[in-house]
Amino acid sequence: MILSLTSRVLVLGMMWLGLSLLKWDGAMSPLFWQALIFTAIVLVGSLMEQLFHYQGDPYILPVVQAIMALGLVFVVRVNPGVALHQFWWANIGLLMFYTVLWAIRDYRSFGRFRYIWGLLAVGLLLVTLVFGSEEGGATSSLKFWGFGFQPEEFVKLALLLFMATYLVENEELLRIGTVQWGRFSLPDWRTLGPFMIMVAFVLGLLAAQKSLGTALVFYLLFVLMLYVVTERALYLGISIPIFLLTGTVGYMLFRHVRVRVSVWLDPWQDPTGMGYQIAQSLFAIGGGNILGTGLGNGIGASTVPVAISDFIFSVIAEELGFAGAMAVLVLFLIVVMRAFVVSIRAKDRFGQILAAGIGILLGTETLIILAGVTKLFPLTGLPLPWVSYGGSSLIVHFILLGVLLNISNATATSSHSTKNKGREYAT
Amino acid sequence: MRGIRQVALGIAFSFFVLSLGLVYWQVVKADTLLKHPANRRMILMENRVTRGGIFDRNGEVIAKTQLINGKKVRVYTKGEMYEPALGYSTVKLGASGLEGSLADWLLGLKRPTPTQSVQQLFALPREGDDVVLTLDSRLQSLAFNALKGKMGAVVAIDPRNGEVLALASQPSFEPNNLDQNWNEIRSREKDRPLEPRYSSLYPPGSTMKVVTSAALLRSGVNTTDLYECQGSTIINGQVIREQNDKAHGWVNYNMALAESCNTYFATFGVQAGNEKFLAAVKGFGFGQMVPFELNVPRSSITKAEKIPTTLNTNLLAASTFGQGEVLVTPFQMALITAGIANQGVIMTPHLVERVLDPSQNVIFKQKPQPWLTALSKAEADKITSAMVTAVTDGTAAPGALPNVQVAGKTGSAEPGGDVPTHAWYIAFAPAENPRIAIAVMVENGGTGGGAAAPIARQIIQEALTRK
Repeated sequence: MILSLTSRVLVLGMMWLGLSLLKWDGAMSPLFWQALIFTAIVLVGSLMEQLFHYQGDPYILPVVQAIMALGLVFVVRVNPGVALHQFWWANIGLLMFYTVLWAIRDYRSFGRFRYIWGLLAVGLLLVTLVFGSEEGGATSSLKFWGFGFQPEEFVKLALLLFMATYLVENEELLRIGTVQWGRFSLPDWRTLGPFMIMVAFVLGLLAAQKSLGTALVFYLLFVLMLYVVTERALYLGISIPIFLLTGTVGYMLFRHVRVRVSVWLDPWQDPTGMGYQIAQSLFAIGGGNILGTGLGNGIGASTVPVAISDFIFSVIAEELGFAGAMAVLVLFLIVVMRAFVVSIRAKDRFGQILAAGIGILLGTETLIILAGVTKLFPLTGLPLPWVSYGGSSLIVHFILLGVLLNISNATATSSHSTKNKGREYAT
Repeated sequence: MRGIRQVALGIAFSFFVLSLGLVYWQVVKADTLLKHPANRRMILMENRVTRGGIFDRNGEVIAKTQLINGKKVRVYTKGEMYEPALGYSTVKLGASGLEGSLADWLLGLKRPTPTQSVQQLFALPREGDDVVLTLDSRLQSLAFNALKGKMGAVVAIDPRNGEVLALASQPSFEPNNLDQNWNEIRSREKDRPLEPRYSSLYPPGSTMKVVTSAALLRSGVNTTDLYECQGSTIINGQVIREQNDKAHGWVNYNMALAESCNTYFATFGVQAGNEKFLAAVKGFGFGQMVPFELNVPRSSITKAEKIPTTLNTNLLAASTFGQGEVLVTPFQMALITAGIANQGVIMTPHLVERVLDPSQNVIFKQKPQPWLTALSKAEADKITSAMVTAVTDGTAAPGALPNVQVAGKTGSAEPGGDVPTHAWYIAFAPAENPRIAIAVMVENGGTGGGAAAPIARQIIQEALTRK
């Protein structure tokens, strides 16, 4: 009780300190009220947890709220003009998180929809490809009443549910295999077919939209979830040549892939042209040194393109320095690792797989965009969960968090009610 | 559960690799990135500082930063009068001149006040320090206007403390709206307005004779002994000519300097020998970097070496009256004059009188410091008396002033080729208690007495009536 409240007060205190250090440029009053509402939701939510006897993982939510608070401060820092939207989405997202956490009695009911999730995912991507508008080189945005809407974020949710349902159903067949092929025994076409078709559709559609980052995240999600469930190195082994092959084909076929790679290999060749983004990102990060320039003092917010979404980490790394950037990494690592802990503790296979999937999704998203802005990997546009500006991403990640903590809470309550029976884990 | 643990381990390891990436960029490569030409960090950071103002010794504004339509604009209230010494500072072109060399004061980086260092630490908008110069706008404007239409420089120094009172160069350029005019200014190759002529190298001509005098006096030449000038002489097979081949007849040291007799200085200079001559020029600061806020090239005796270890007789003979390969900056010539005026001691020249922090507390005040001892007091007195003769009875007569005794020396230096001579004039006044030392140089201006001395005369008059 005390710990949970203190952590929230700390997180909120940091947010208010950050906001008060920044210049708000006239947008002050509405932002102030939204920040106040955010504060209220966080505090009331924390009390509700006591009231409803929340027994799930105690670390994940405060850590995510810390990430969220940091994100809000930096969105205000980069562009106070649009920060109001981000506060809306954060507040709505938090409310949705609590709704998912408390309103869903049994997360296993998600499993009933089976392939509906898969169809929903493919459908969403198709609609985007046909009706979507192009933004930053990728066709990944739908416009509704003036609001940009990123279907691929919602696809993450649908796909996770599909994967979990599918893997639970076919676990044994995937694990053992029914068809002998040389030394390896592979699952038959009836088992693997629907999965392969889904993978091909999703990745193909994302490639057509030029959403390379999301495609990569999904590919890793498919492969790692398959591995987590089956524990067969074979699937990992197959995935690498497939990745290299598609990568090479993509490199030869598409100019924008070639540009990404050549800029990644040498952004200094043309730091004012193609390499501009990554060069400016590195100038910003490098300028941060150990302790950073201080909040609001960096140049990255004005020099780095799309500093508010894909490159927000560059601004954080500049203004909070290596120390702050490491803190952000550690916060994300905590969330991912605790998600795996939730997965390991879950009583049923569906919950385990779903929680592991959420952990893998968060981990890969964070890694790919952060490796992109630090030039460890070719840059692919992705929002940093809870930090980057964007409503779709925020809301989807809060729903995912709700599902994760719902699983965690259900695990804990069931083991309390049936003290000695719950010792044997599922599988 | 093995699979999930392995995936967790893999992700944790990837995060570790990512943190190594951060170490690489933020610690290992930070300086390299900062120096990358495409990195605008330094320029953007400087934008946050309001440059301090620059004032003349009477408190008149020379440069200040003003907010015009919400934008910071550097305004040079005196226009081209102080250029190119003052320089400029723009985001596009960077900074030069005093704006460049005094940047650490003007940006509040040198000896920051506690407020400034906190603001600097957090890179907050802050104000730089104000710099008060030793320059005097009245003398500067006189010098600048007198040189108008000519190419040349005026340097005026207070010999007692090294304060630079005027530092003018013509042609000059308009420092306001420089970004727009830059290409036009740069393309003027003939009159080169960006070149600070007070620190350009020229042959000094006969003004060099005051330096040669030191060698002569130290070699034991009796200043009252007479020498017969026949209009030309031959030393070591080399013909030494007088200007216009004029024979000065029987002259002593004072008369030789006053009449600017080349053969006298060549004959006795060679007699004194290259060692004494080179020691004398070294004593006057040839071959040395001038400790000064602006960069002044080293004056030199030969092309090969600033100060050679030996000098052959022919080159020595030509050097004694400022020809041969001798090259001097007008600034150096002013320092030499100031040294003679200050009983042989050259004070360290400086342009910054004091520095004020944003709340107008004095945080730095220049103290006079000797730089070189060029002459003994006796030697300085002898040269002064000869220079006074030059003004009263010699070639420097156009520099004379009523009621004030002026010590001066003209020079008409042959730059080589069939072009008019560079007109030189050095002087200080009042001769018995000097308050101003001055060097004037007009490129291809003709004779020193005709083209340079009248300019110096005006400035000296103004400077002396001030107090």
